[in-house]
Amino acid sequence: MRSQTFWRNLTLAPALILFALLTLVPMINLVALSFHEVAWLNRISNWSFVGLRNYARLSGDTLFRAGIWNTVLFAVVAVALQMILGFGLALMTTQITRGRLFYRTIFILPILVPGIIIGAIWKLMYSYDFGVINQVLMLVGLTPQDWLGSSQLALLSVIVVDVWHWTPFCFLLLLASLETLPEDIYEAARTDGATGWHCFRYLTLPLMIPALTVTFVFRMILAFKVFDEIYLLTGGGPGTSTEVISFTIYRRFFTEDQTGYGAAISVATIAVIAMIIIAASRLTMKKETE
Amino acid sequence: MTFQGSMRAGVAAIALFAAAPLAAQDQVPVTIVINQSPWFPGFQKVVELYTKETGNTINLDVNPFAGSLEKQRTAVRSETSPFDILVMNAGFFVEFYTSGFIQPLTDIDPDFKLDPAIYTFDNSVYWDPETQQINAQTGSLHSVPVNPFLPILHYRADLYEANGLEVPTTWDQLYDNARVLNDPPKMYGISQRGQRGTFDVTFDVMAYVWSHGGGIFADQKGGDFTVTINSPETLAGMETYIRLANDVGHPSTAGQTQTNVIQNMATGRAGHIQGVPAPALFDDPTQSAVVGLVNYAPVPGTQAMPGVAPLGHWLAGIPKNIPEDRQASALAFLTWFQGDEAQRAYAEAGSPPVSKAVLESDMAQQPEYRYMTALADSIPNARLTFVIPEAAQVLSVTELRFNQAISGELPLKEALNTAAQEIHDVMVQAGHDTPMLEPLQ
Repeated sequence: MRSQTFWRNLTLAPALILFALLTLVPMINLVALSFHEVAWLNRISNWSFVGLRNYARLSGDTLFRAGIWNTVLFAVVAVALQMILGFGLALMTTQITRGRLFYRTIFILPILVPGIIIGAIWKLMYSYDFGVINQVLMLVGLTPQDWLGSSQLALLSVIVVDVWHWTPFCFLLLLASLETLPEDIYEAARTDGATGWHCFRYLTLPLMIPALTVTFVFRMILAFKVFDEIYLLTGGGPGTSTEVISFTIYRRFFTEDQTGYGAAISVATIAVIAMIIIAASRLTMKKETE
Repeated sequence: MTFQGSMRAGVAAIALFAAAPLAAQDQVPVTIVINQSPWFPGFQKVVELYTKETGNTINLDVNPFAGSLEKQRTAVRSETSPFDILVMNAGFFVEFYTSGFIQPLTDIDPDFKLDPAIYTFDNSVYWDPETQQINAQTGSLHSVPVNPFLPILHYRADLYEANGLEVPTTWDQLYDNARVLNDPPKMYGISQRGQRGTFDVTFDVMAYVWSHGGGIFADQKGGDFTVTINSPETLAGMETYIRLANDVGHPSTAGQTQTNVIQNMATGRAGHIQGVPAPALFDDPTQSAVVGLVNYAPVPGTQAMPGVAPLGHWLAGIPKNIPEDRQASALAFLTWFQGDEAQRAYAEAGSPPVSKAVLESDMAQQPEYRYMTALADSIPNARLTFVIPEAAQVLSVTELRFNQAISGELPLKEALNTAAQEIHDVMVQAGHDTPMLEPLQ
């Protein structure tokens, strides 16, 4: 028995070592870097220990504050819309008996397009002077809008792009789950006189909660990492209206070459996101057990 | 040999002959890390000419602006740089000089000299490692200019003629002319580059700020780092910029990139732009609706001070961390590049040259090179925006605060006062003595 356990552990070892090398070591390095400042002189890097100074700077950093706030707002609004639309489309698709494959293919098309191309397509569509959206508005006698250059509209415009891009992801996951729901309980419910709404409210929704939770958490994780759409569409502006935390890290870490401070922002962001996701998961699980 | 075999050998020989350079390769291949700018296609053609003439191979690693900077930093900090020439921007080259990453060119070849016809762009090619300052007298030659990227005024010559307008030398005159041409959304009096980026809106506003006597620091070269971004003079410069944007500018000035501004001119929607010379774009019928209609002048100034353009030029430096044969090969290319023939070919390929001799030659009288006179007139007054290694951090502040002021997200005075405090903090942390002015009320 002891020998069996030993061999089991031994066979796990390569995977554990690989995990440690690829995940833990970079994380430890990142945390260590966040307590230092790195300067280059005569081609030599000088690491100086600065204690918690990099972390103390966070609260006064306009871009960090705006980045966290906009990222949370972006993630919550975009993911909520994607979940509602994705679930709605999935429910409708399950009702279709003919051409289901066709609709499924059409609905998932946006997810197949790389983010950088999506950014370019929508930037053209949002263009104040040449964009198709403003052309249509003018055609019906409305005033053209500054979709990406106005502080009031820019974040909303980016959210629309993200919803268009990622709703298929929710659709796909939820459709797969809907198709596995047992048909017999629906038949039993209908025999007992349940309406369509009753079936949805008391059968589909409770049975779908695990799938909805997983999809929500997956999407939230991805939404917190949004970068390419912002980079192409607005560059974080105007002002700080579309500044998201990935972009702040990119600026501080790479463009400004503040590696220590950039590492501190990264560590703080990981902590904030982990807290939000844990809280969201617990809330959903609590709902599920109720 | 079979018939097919003979045919294949013949085709291969023809192909080899056609691709063969005029001379045999005598240098190891060179890799240049460079950004994708409006002038890049011209540079690419000159590189092809060099390969054809010398047989030496040049590889170009082309990147977006910020991506090029990151690659350069990574390259010089590694054991051996994968790049032999770094094409560094005016905003960031000091960081490479200060950290000792760039090999003085005379250390590679003691006989190497900058061609007297080549501009030094506010002496940015000379660096004194002892004093850590740009200094033409005590510094050694660290780079060769590659492109004279600085803003000049582009205006619609046909509309000027039709409306009897005169080329402006002050911002007030420009405002008046722009008002005449302004007919939105068909035509904007002026299109400005107000979006926040790496070195975007700051590059656009500095001509306004300097010509009103303002600035970011009092005297960087002289070591006076008093923050003057919230001085009354800087305020006046910004007020002029915003007045043009609000009254006769594009409705989305705060969201306009360099590409948007060029696009507005190329599609005939802008009466003026303040842009870097990219003449090939506007005179190419496949890319422009205003072929032959755009003319050029130095950026305007005020009654008290002539126009001062911020330098956004590009410098070619050779990193220290490459073997001697690669350094020699890189220098061979730069030696060739600064010659009269290469500079003329560079201009003919659609990119502004860095040679005074070419800019002031008979070429400037030809219609397709009509930008040359404006450029030659601008260079002597042009200034470096930064001569400090903290440029990237200061730029992050100015890009955000100028953009917020233009978009109206922050009142102008508040934006400038906030920027002053943030720049002060950056400089103090870097160990500079950095006095501040009283906040604007």
